[in-house]
Amino acid sequence: MPDQEMTKRIAEYIREKFLDGDPQGELQDTSPLLEWGVLNSLRVAQLIGFLREEFGVVVPPREIHADNLRDVRSITAMVARLA
Amino acid sequence: MDFDLTDEQRCRYDRVSAEVTQQLGGPGMLSELPFTRTQWKSAAQIGLTGLCMPAEYGGGGLGALDTALCLEAFGRACPNTGLVFAVAAHLLACAVPIRDFADGDVRGELLSGLASGELIAANAMTEDEAGSDLSRLGVTAEQEPGGYVLHGDKSFASNAPAADVFVTYATTAPAAGFLGITAFAVPRTAPGVATGEPFEKMGLGGCPAGRVLFRHCRVPETHRLGREGQGTAVFQHSMAWERGCLFAVYLGLMERQLQQCVERARTRRQFGRAIGEFQAVSHRIAGMKQRLESARLLLYRACWLLDGGRDHNEAVALSKIAVSEAAVANSLDAIQVFGGDGYLRSAGIEQHLRDSVPGGIFSGATDIQREVVARGLGL
Repeated sequence: MPDQEMTKRIAEYIREKFLDGDPQGELQDTSPLLEWGVLNSLRVAQLIGFLREEFGVVVPPREIHADNLRDVRSITAMVARLA
Repeated sequence: MDFDLTDEQRCRYDRVSAEVTQQLGGPGMLSELPFTRTQWKSAAQIGLTGLCMPAEYGGGGLGALDTALCLEAFGRACPNTGLVFAVAAHLLACAVPIRDFADGDVRGELLSGLASGELIAANAMTEDEAGSDLSRLGVTAEQEPGGYVLHGDKSFASNAPAADVFVTYATTAPAAGFLGITAFAVPRTAPGVATGEPFEKMGLGGCPAGRVLFRHCRVPETHRLGREGQGTAVFQHSMAWERGCLFAVYLGLMERQLQQCVERARTRRQFGRAIGEFQAVSHRIAGMKQRLESARLLLYRACWLLDGGRDHNEAVALSKIAVSEAAVANSLDAIQVFGGDGYLRSAGIEQHLRDSVPGGIFSGATDIQREVVARGLGL
């Protein structure tokens, strides 16, 4: 799957699940998800489940760190690397 | 779908059960005193302190489901649930994160010691003001050349008074919330480590628990588990194993308890017949069996998902809720079946209840597990 499509799907998931649909359209690919408080420990677990269901990518515990979860772009890069 | 254990699993379960019965299953094990090093060594000789550790370090190399089966056999054959819990906590909350996140020589040295029973480990995460909320840890770790300086107090650390190594978590970047936590394996011999007096607890007396104090404690960088800021992931990974596998201890307890209740219902006579002939008694015991078997299926499934690297959060949460609630409910029913004798400490029946109550609190309280399930449902 092209990275662009992957980015779109990950952003859609975050908008729908964690931002009440993001009515103001604030989420960008480089929006700082951790600084904004969009991701917490429970949501990371949900997101990891989504990545496995949607892209068939199992994210090992060692990959769950700030560099890989900083924004939608970082998450996409991690998924592309692990796919 | 196949619900049968394999021959290998059945043999292993029977071997653990027989060896524990022989070495740690006597009436003296009903004691609620903290475990002894001799008892710990016995558990290690049976292979229980290293079940899921790599074989190259002396462990059993087992996955989550096979580990759970062995812990179930241990819990069934050993009446000292505190000791069984202590070994399981050592293995799942401490050895697992060291196995999966430590690097280099430290990993090998610690795993060899933990598997052989030479080293006892304690998980020091909880603090007075941080139980369920991992993002607000008061213990800090400041980086210095070659390592970190840890400072602050941990509490409710199972095994702490007896432990040789502490798996602990500290804030390294306060502004980063749950991703500002870092995990460490701290030897008791590190300067600045101390433990408090053992807590007086309601149950699980065989497992001593207490505070761990870090006073400007220097820890080499080699003893960090995972990357800086990865502590929450380390902890959640270890808790998935603990919530999944450790609760098999309670399946074993419930199995033993059920046998005791059936025996009691067959032999205790009132109004000229065995009390098991009264439907009020026999149906109570049937209900105990139903709760045990339901909880067992959920636990086996959770461990099976864990082994397959599949989404296990909801399954593990459901399993923990089911097992911990079944253990309390069945323990109350067991007291009722035994009547006055069940209320006496000498019979060892009321101890099941006191040992079961903490199951709804440790490893993520039941309320948090329901929250995990609710979030998974999109609520």
